[in-house]
Amino acid sequence: MTWLAAARMVVMALVSWLAAVAVSFMLIRLVPGDPVDIFVNRMNVNASEELLAAYRRAWGLEHSLIEQFLIWLRGFVTLNWGVSFVTGGEVSNELAPRLAWSAAIGFGGMIAALLCGTLLGFRAALHPGGLADGLSRSMAVAGQALPAFAVGLVALWLFAAELRWLLPFSGGAVERLILPIALVAFFSVGSVSRLVRAGFAETAAAPFMRTALAKGLSRKTALWRHGRRQAAIVLVAGIAPDLAWIVGGTAIAEIVFGIPGLSERVVEAVSSRDYPVLQSYVALVALWIILGLHLCALLRRTLDPRHGALPLRVQ
Amino acid sequence: MTLMTGSLKPILKILDPDRRALPAAGLAVAFALTGAIAPAAAESVTVGQTFLASGLDPADGSTGWALVTHGIAEQLFTVSRDGEVVPNLAASAARNDDASWTVELSPGRFFSDGTPVTAELVADALNRTGEANASARATAGRLTFEALDADTLKVTSEQPTAILPSILAEWAFPVYLETDGAPIFTGPFAVENFEAGAAIEMVPNTHYEGYEQRPDVTIRRIADGQSLALAFASGELDLAFNLPVETVSMFEGREDRSVTSFPVAYQYMMWMNTRTPALSDVRVRRAIDLAVNRDNLVAAARAGKPATGAFAAAYPFAAEGSLAYDPEASARLLDEAGWMVGDDGVRAKDGKKLELVLWAYPQRPDLVTFQPVVRAALAELGIAVTTQVTESPSDVAASGAFDLFLWAQHTAPAGDPGLFLSLFFETGAARNYTGWSNAAYDDVIAALRAATSPDERIDLARQAQKLIADGAPVSFLVTPEWHVGLSERLADYQPWGSDYYVIRPDLSVSHQ
Repeated sequence: MTWLAAARMVVMALVSWLAAVAVSFMLIRLVPGDPVDIFVNRMNVNASEELLAAYRRAWGLEHSLIEQFLIWLRGFVTLNWGVSFVTGGEVSNELAPRLAWSAAIGFGGMIAALLCGTLLGFRAALHPGGLADGLSRSMAVAGQALPAFAVGLVALWLFAAELRWLLPFSGGAVERLILPIALVAFFSVGSVSRLVRAGFAETAAAPFMRTALAKGLSRKTALWRHGRRQAAIVLVAGIAPDLAWIVGGTAIAEIVFGIPGLSERVVEAVSSRDYPVLQSYVALVALWIILGLHLCALLRRTLDPRHGALPLRVQ
Repeated sequence: MTLMTGSLKPILKILDPDRRALPAAGLAVAFALTGAIAPAAAESVTVGQTFLASGLDPADGSTGWALVTHGIAEQLFTVSRDGEVVPNLAASAARNDDASWTVELSPGRFFSDGTPVTAELVADALNRTGEANASARATAGRLTFEALDADTLKVTSEQPTAILPSILAEWAFPVYLETDGAPIFTGPFAVENFEAGAAIEMVPNTHYEGYEQRPDVTIRRIADGQSLALAFASGELDLAFNLPVETVSMFEGREDRSVTSFPVAYQYMMWMNTRTPALSDVRVRRAIDLAVNRDNLVAAARAGKPATGAFAAAYPFAAEGSLAYDPEASARLLDEAGWMVGDDGVRAKDGKKLELVLWAYPQRPDLVTFQPVVRAALAELGIAVTTQVTESPSDVAASGAFDLFLWAQHTAPAGDPGLFLSLFFETGAARNYTGWSNAAYDDVIAALRAATSPDERIDLARQAQKLIADGAPVSFLVTPEWHVGLSERLADYQPWGSDYYVIRPDLSVSHQ
């Protein structure tokens, strides 16, 4: 990859992000429900026409949609993310402390899923049709079929209410994060393990495996040594959809387990049409997905030279 | 061993049966004293709620409401358990000849840092809020506060008002002391630690009467109702506020957990659009009102009480008696109005069938639950009803594009009946969704607007409700109930005041 190609990738990422936030900006405002109306109803405010107009002015809703978008965009890139309609607080101040919780759940869940999924996938490839293979398949099906919200509530009931092993609401930070991370990981382990299995299975069927075994390596060692790169390539290529799940799964985990993360705040913002909070959240998520996809692409190029070289090598 | 025996001798001496009575008695007294004094200071309780203050500045958004309901902040006036506006930080309020008001502060009140509550500090805070928060300008326009002396305020309103105490009991008017850091308040609890969106740790305000009896309180936000119930079941919460009705049975038969239900002021009702051809006839509207069995609605929602009028029964101005359910009278009224039952069981008049659209909104799930119940009741009567659900109830209601509309409304948030009765039913009022107009009613509301005597206001509010019942632009349906989970330690807690006063000065740990 040349520097020109790298620059093109950055520009494409920026354009993608801009398109995503522009479309979401319009969609959010197309959702029925006037934020001023919702606020005055919910808070039992005696709202005259003058008062409604005052709210609209204060919340910047008197501008055209294009003007509102440009004002928001300028604010977002200069870290002035506006003021929440409901709480009156700075959106950036409200979201910043929540980001750490969301990141801990999202990345924690992803790492746990990668570790467990890789282990399970490798075992499944090593013993096709064995216990690990069956478990891997079952978890992949469960990940697609089970409702995450219900699974979270069952976990809460089992580990907190019945067994009382954990204090998911009042324990320390680590104790509070165990179940949310496990929930996010649970729904990714199956798909990760199937991808890893597929990668290793490709290697297991390759002719050079016979040579490796003939050299005296055990099947396990030979498969790990010669198959891990291929498994990683398959995994990186197939993991992209899980980037979206990390966001969705984190949201569900935050709500079920009462974690004060970004998504938990956003759910509240949806019902109140709190545009500044919603828009900032969507922009952050779009940034995460686009960065994630590009990182996956770069990683794939690194692992698989057939897809091109790294910029540093070109240097 | 000898040494040990020697060193233990004095102790053994004390424990000698003949000699240990006195020290034992002393120890018992010491333990008893410690037990009597220490527990109140050492107790702590955890409260779970689906909402939490997002900040500590009462001038921001709806933060003032949250701070009052958390027991952190207070207003000059408040709404009592009996639904009356009563003095709190204020001692009294009197209307002056020039339509301004003089408010005397209650003596001996302090902010949680020990600073006395003075008229000057109150004026500074409330003038700032009035400038910053539009909600503080809602009922009578901008209020201006001026300190006449240390204990006396002069309050001038942009629009003259006869109900200033009620306005000052609105959530937008908590009193606070601005500091370089977070504001300081006067409520029974002071903020010890604030974790945005997650928890608030509070300690008793030592400058608030009876602080020794209050425990430390941690409020945790658990946004999902099911999770709230499981957190309560797990023992992590001592109080779970507003449990979903379907979770209540989880706690039946448990000795350490109980659930208390209490009526709330978010009254359920059904608007009837008087501008539509069928519903412009008062006989049709009254027939619909008589055809709805409110007990069936309560059964459908699995909680609540049949409404008696516009206000929950706890308010002194609530209508007395009960609203009639009489399907036979209902059928007669429709016959009189010319809507006769056809071969298909649907009433018709001049070749046009009596078909109505019933709206509801999902933000209040009970209303959606009511839709089939109301539809079935009206079908029995020969009225064909189709149902619609909207995410934007105010838009639909304001547009007038509905026949019937199920609605939830807190009808007396600041303990006064005037706001609801004027805002929703006076001719041409901003939220008169039904388009109803009645000159006699408007006269009553004008009198209510001017009346200052509580008894007179109660009488006028009841007159207004009688006129609404006669004109039937609305059918008041159910006073809902919410459910509060309580551990043994808070068994004495009694919820009231909807979600406006969850944590109050009387919160204490039960030692039974």
